[in-house]
Amino acid sequence: MSFISLLVDEPGRNVLMTGNEAVARGAVEAGIGYASSYPGSPSVEILANLGRLAQKFNHYAEWSVNEKVALEGAAAASFAGLRAICVMKPNGLNVALDSLASIAISGIKAGLVLVVGDDPAGYSSTNEEDSRPLEKAAHIPVLEPGTPQEAKEMTLFAFELSEQIKLPVALRCVTRICHASANVIVGPVEGGCREPFIGTDERFITNVALHRVQEAKLARVRHMADTMPFNRYTGPEDAKTVVITAGVGFMYAREALAELGLAAEVGILKLGLTWPLPEGMLLKYLKTAEKVIFIEEIEPFIEENVMHLAAQHLMEVYPLRFYGQKSGHVAGQYGPGIGEMDPETVTRALAAVCGKSYTPPVAGEFLKDAMPDIPSRERAFCAGCPHRASFWAVKSALALDGRSPVVLGDIGCYTLGLTRTGFNLLQTVHAMGSGVGMACGLGRLADYGFHQPVIALVGDSTFYHSALPALLNARYNKSSFLLIVLDNETTAMTGHQPHPGIGKNAMGEEGLKITIESVATGLGLPVTVHDPYDVEGATEAVFRSLQAEGPRVLVLRRACALVAAHQGKRPRVYVDQDLCIADNCGCNRFCNHVFACVANIWDAAKNKAVIDEVLCNRCGVCAGLCPVGAIKVEGGGRVD
Amino acid sequence: MTDVGVHNIIVTGVGGQGNVLASQVIATAAVESGFLVSVGETFGASQRGGSVMSHVRVSREEAYGPLIPRSRASVIIGFEPLETLRTLAVYGGSDTAVIMNRRPNYPLGVLLGDFTYPDVDRITEVIRANSRSLTVLEATELAVAAGLPVGTNMVMTGAFAGSGVLPIAAETYEAVLGGLFSGEMLASNLKAFRAGLGTVAAPGEARN
Amino acid sequence: MDGKKGPLDLVREVMASGMCTGCGICVGLCPYIKTAGERVAFVHQCGLEEGNCYRSCPRTPTDWAELDRAVFDREREDCLLGNYREILFARAGAGDVAGKGQYGGVVTALAAFLLEEGEVAGAVLTGGPAGEMPRPVLARCRDEVLACAGSHYSASPSLAALNRAARQGVERLAVVGRPCQVLAVRKMQGLRNPTPNNLSAQKVKFLVGLFCFWSLDTGIYSFMRARAGDRRIVRADITPEAMALDTGSGVVNFPVEEVRPFVRPACRLCFDPTSEFADVAVGSTEYDPDWNTLIVRSAKGREIVDAAREGGIIETRPYPPERLPLLRKAVRNKKLRVLAAMENGEAGSYLELSDGYAHVLKQEGGSGR
Repeated sequence: MSFISLLVDEPGRNVLMTGNEAVARGAVEAGIGYASSYPGSPSVEILANLGRLAQKFNHYAEWSVNEKVALEGAAAASFAGLRAICVMKPNGLNVALDSLASIAISGIKAGLVLVVGDDPAGYSSTNEEDSRPLEKAAHIPVLEPGTPQEAKEMTLFAFELSEQIKLPVALRCVTRICHASANVIVGPVEGGCREPFIGTDERFITNVALHRVQEAKLARVRHMADTMPFNRYTGPEDAKTVVITAGVGFMYAREALAELGLAAEVGILKLGLTWPLPEGMLLKYLKTAEKVIFIEEIEPFIEENVMHLAAQHLMEVYPLRFYGQKSGHVAGQYGPGIGEMDPETVTRALAAVCGKSYTPPVAGEFLKDAMPDIPSRERAFCAGCPHRASFWAVKSALALDGRSPVVLGDIGCYTLGLTRTGFNLLQTVHAMGSGVGMACGLGRLADYGFHQPVIALVGDSTFYHSALPALLNARYNKSSFLLIVLDNETTAMTGHQPHPGIGKNAMGEEGLKITIESVATGLGLPVTVHDPYDVEGATEAVFRSLQAEGPRVLVLRRACALVAAHQGKRPRVYVDQDLCIADNCGCNRFCNHVFACVANIWDAAKNKAVIDEVLCNRCGVCAGLCPVGAIKVEGGGRVD
Repeated sequence: MTDVGVHNIIVTGVGGQGNVLASQVIATAAVESGFLVSVGETFGASQRGGSVMSHVRVSREEAYGPLIPRSRASVIIGFEPLETLRTLAVYGGSDTAVIMNRRPNYPLGVLLGDFTYPDVDRITEVIRANSRSLTVLEATELAVAAGLPVGTNMVMTGAFAGSGVLPIAAETYEAVLGGLFSGEMLASNLKAFRAGLGTVAAPGEARN
Repeated sequence: MDGKKGPLDLVREVMASGMCTGCGICVGLCPYIKTAGERVAFVHQCGLEEGNCYRSCPRTPTDWAELDRAVFDREREDCLLGNYREILFARAGAGDVAGKGQYGGVVTALAAFLLEEGEVAGAVLTGGPAGEMPRPVLARCRDEVLACAGSHYSASPSLAALNRAARQGVERLAVVGRPCQVLAVRKMQGLRNPTPNNLSAQKVKFLVGLFCFWSLDTGIYSFMRARAGDRRIVRADITPEAMALDTGSGVVNFPVEEVRPFVRPACRLCFDPTSEFADVAVGSTEYDPDWNTLIVRSAKGREIVDAAREGGIIETRPYPPERLPLLRKAVRNKKLRVLAAMENGEAGSYLELSDGYAHVLKQEGGSGR
């Protein structure tokens, strides 16, 4: 599995791969020369794997500082004749859209595939954005795989298509493809000599005059779509009820029809190319069907586009009724278009439309009587996470300051600072780097009566991604705020990818380390660095920085606990229960109830604190915070 | 086993317990044995202590989608009691076999004093009453004894492998581990895996 | 001093009402009360109904007569100056100490003496350069004590250093503090059912109280810097008439009236300008800048003063009888102002005085209850 299956050299071999791995393998089999990305769940592993494969397959792989730069690099490689792949999540597409829109006008040379990993239900995102409307707005074709095998095949196909029409092609995946695994047949790897070159006569220009060229390209694709292998109909040819679906919805629909005994009467039109629509193929089934049900996630993208198509051919398709999100038939717990697609929702919708009775199993029936109040499980910082220490220091400093400072948050593990694990400190969370931009605004309002101190909190990766323009703006426009950079020396939330502050790149090579301090100093901003594990010192540092004026930076630097835990054994941390004062005045279960590291649990039998040594990452911070010194580090002394 | 269309196996636990590795090992062993496999899981933010689940669907004839429909799980491998209960409530039923690690992992709400973690014996009782069979393991202790405190997931994988639900020999699983790890890491993971092997009776032998 | 009250009440009655003197007794009693600069604040509410923070705070209800009994084992005879055995003029014997002290250097001399004799293992002091915000210091040797010599005019929550020292296991401590700080330590020592975070009180072996009629808020430092023309201030002094700033290249004087706006509002409600519950109290003479006024209050105070005098650490001379009425008048005026504020409903209910006390105070000077 995993990396091993990517290295398999036997074409035809059947292996287990995730959708991400399948895309990476497809890229390698397509002979890419360039790969770039900024980490974004659920698509992170594509570039992570391409980075590890870079040397073996002789391609370049890069973690760029943000998605705009990533896409531009990939486009340029395409101009030079190298097949290029660029990977991001929809929020990243938002960042890169300006560049994408213009690249789609200028055209490209070698195949350029843009992989976007959508996150329905937002398992690893602050929103659940459907990237397809933006891909359509950028005028590029969109392919949607329904299985990891299809993801690999579509990757290869996307490069071919992109080269044929000289347009970037989007491969739109979702969590249930990216992070799902299934059987994938390994193919041969294109060898081949690449000689990147841009001829002095070649041009890649964005010009409004090229809009009509762009439309002509899409028209070509529209034409090709009717015979593309990924657009497939299964079921009775003259079915009166047809499901139109794409992506993983196909698998759910197939299973639902089997469950309901409808496989003989209902057909499934599975679209692989969801933009532009294969109009000829669609019209064929729209004319014969009387009921059409749309299964897709997240937005009713296919639904709306097919309805437009039907409206143009009204007389030919009538009688025809549409069912989907718009009619309210395809709807999850929170309504149509909210949350991810699942087998229940599909089965219910099909049953309703086809007039079949179906009682969905109700979750947790027996639980209601047997165990009515089971605790929910909210996310928390890992044991030993430096963010917990940082947030406690910031919370303390805010209380000491007394002027109700405003805390603006950002995207990363530390976003959890808006919940109880981070003492509910964050007051805003938006896009990458937006906390700093917002701080610029607030930091200019003192002259207009706004006297609350302003703190923007970002992580190290976020800093490099998008904080720089805002910081420059702050200096230039004289905005006053404190930027605290929570530097855990990695891009943690997405799985510990490197960034410019680390000195390592996607291909594992050592490189330049561009520290946050050097950037801040270069921008003319005062900057101090402190270790958040020294909570008292960090509290003082935050407090002092709050009293100052002007744009200023405080870096709280300490390695991510999960990374540090891999780097050797640290001394054991434990509670001396004889010293623990438990519920009494002077503590009242500070480590367990308040600081609430997940390893600071309670020994109910003795009513004393105890450390869960399986979870504990031995950071030693709680030992320094215990008011009576009951928490000990073996061998004495502070953990380094 | 041959008359079952698809084996719907759920591996459930708390983010950080190594759920993903366990499900990948089982799935890979199944692919190596010629099965069609589909795995659906969520990692990423869930690692930060949230509930995590992997759906592993193993079949001979047809490929299935990555999500198991409600109440259709045939086996639940639970790394943690509360999560096992939660998963059983939605995906399990009276036909579901359960293998569960007894060691609780306290949610933040419990630490903060908002909730009490229910009595583990009570959780066990309720699971037993609402499933086909239940095997309770002290998997974490077995992992610690095997020298790999974070190896609960390997012990549980071994327990599943040894249960015989899937007709896959332990050697196949071990070969998969051999492809993932080497040296000391391989040795300790194998030790943990083997510690779990004999702990579950084959289906048909264990009834509630 | 009784009743179930805790951190929420402390916030409401003291911190949020402007009564907090910044003594620091609550800082570090638990992880929830912290200090920065002169500010003391709760960073989190522990949720307990009853707390030592409330019980030791000098601005929560305090029964004055009961404290006299607890500290001195008897009622006071002098309603103005409290319990004492003797009032003297005193100054440091050693030249280096006297030179460093604000006036006679008696506080520095006694603190160093206690450390060197092994009476205590640490002294909780207030340190920092003149003209800048002071900070709590735990001194462990003579040099560290000398480094803290000189008066500070803003409130430092130096009892935070007492709590920290006690937690770190320093066994016997001397504390030099303002009257509110002395009061806080005595309240903590008098607590019934000491709880584990009451370690500090058990470890204090000697209390040196200072005379204090008011302290200033930290805005005074930028004011001083501006008046000193941004030059570094080597020594600051406040007399009844003026504030003097010595920059090393000259002295800047200005009327004390200019300093009055910086007086902390909480100080206007202070009933104890002469540290009535300390072992010894030390202040200026307002007469001779080379000497201090020294009030010997407790038996332990007597013992230490005698030993220090015998060892040449301090020298003493009789308190000039004609100065006494002036001291008494200043004290009486302060106490009467507080009584008036109380009658106006401004002082909350923190002072619990016996019925006759207020009555006696209002009469002309003299002793009696």
